[in-house]
Amino acid sequence: MARDEQFKQEVLRLAGQEVLTCIQCGTCSASCPTAHLMNPSIRKLIKFCLEGKKEEALHNETLWLCTSCLLCTVRCPRGIRPKAVVSALKDIAERAGLRSKDAAYEQFFLKQIKDFGRIAELALTAEFLLVFPQGAVQSMQMGLELLPKGKIGLKIERIKGRDEVKRIVEELRKE
Amino acid sequence: MKLAYYPGCVSLSTGKEMDASTRAVSAALGIELVELPDWNCCGATHVSNELVATGLAARNMAQTDLPIMTACSICYSNLRAAAQRLEEHEIREKVNAVLDRKYSSARIRHALDVILEALTEGDERIVVPLKELKVAPYYGCLLTRPKGVYSPQFPTILEELIKRLQAEPVDFRLKTACCGGPIFMPQEKAAEDIAFKILAEAKKAGAEVIVTVCPLCHLMLDAKQKVLEQKHGVRIGIPVLYVTQLAGIALGLGPEELGLDMNSVSPVAMMEGVYERTAEGF
Repeated sequence: MARDEQFKQEVLRLAGQEVLTCIQCGTCSASCPTAHLMNPSIRKLIKFCLEGKKEEALHNETLWLCTSCLLCTVRCPRGIRPKAVVSALKDIAERAGLRSKDAAYEQFFLKQIKDFGRIAELALTAEFLLVFPQGAVQSMQMGLELLPKGKIGLKIERIKGRDEVKRIVEELRKE
Repeated sequence: MKLAYYPGCVSLSTGKEMDASTRAVSAALGIELVELPDWNCCGATHVSNELVATGLAARNMAQTDLPIMTACSICYSNLRAAAQRLEEHEIREKVNAVLDRKYSSARIRHALDVILEALTEGDERIVVPLKELKVAPYYGCLLTRPKGVYSPQFPTILEELIKRLQAEPVDFRLKTACCGGPIFMPQEKAAEDIAFKILAEAKKAGAEVIVTVCPLCHLMLDAKQKVLEQKHGVRIGIPVLYVTQLAGIALGLGPEELGLDMNSVSPVAMMEGVYERTAEGF
């Protein structure tokens, strides 16, 4: 696979130039709560980015197994933010129109923020189940638990500053 | 003391008891909360573009001049991270260019730290001291990350509050481990495995109750507990309370005010124990 320098620079721009100083020590992978399920590991993902291996970096399950817990980030001895690298890759993948259940979940989430200003969990779940019906069992279990407790918000909240929020999402994403 | 209160989206649904108990405890401690006007979602862990996430947080922070308090660790982490990034002139310029009210500065506080500060040692308002109650202090990940005032790996503030309520924090090895919550929709199994480990560890540590500071941790450990028990064929049966609920019990607030009937794993038996011990002590 050819080295994609432009891709590498885009990752550095989004996640920080310090990614260049990675020594591949693997502290990030060793800290990650879902490392055992990841292939490539988070360490290797960063290596792919530095080598400009776009395909390998973008098309994997690793990105979507990150829980955003930031343990990699507080532990990295080089002051790199591995989670920010993951976020950068997700952002690049989503903008390139990647289709997957995980990317869809993020897209629905952002769309709700853009349209309403807040998240309506019920509508978000319903929308997600349309693309990923396998999630129905879990959602039913959760619904049966939460509904009698009055903890499922049925109303979609719309804030007044929706135009401003829309501008934040659309304009800042272009930067 | 007067604070701006940022409830966060979860307060309107799965975290209603977090919101109710936060308001009730604040009132009991004489802390005036002014809800942040027209607040928006912080983006949680699902907005991958950092500048957009910063902009969403900045809009919230620009709505007030008061310090902002939230009871949700995810909102707390996002607002703090954004405030750190907004220190950079270039980022602030870009963000302010799209905001109606411009961001200048902000002070972000978690309800946990506000409550601890308001309670003195042996505070007379603690009418139900939680004597002998064994509490697992579960921080989860985002309260202490990115790095701020607490150690991101070995914080102690939750134990301090538990002791101030006269309960006993247990030694909880996984106290800052992630609950798996952020990926529970699309990556169900991975998330459930992580959550089960935490529950099993709390049981092993002898906890009678787990205390959380984040609605997603709460959802994973409380609302999912029954399903996880069934999957693993193990009984856990540990109630999971928000830190504001635990503090509220000690302050003598009623179950209704604290939304205790909304918890999935019933805290009734645990509370009866607490009330009995209090009655014996008087």
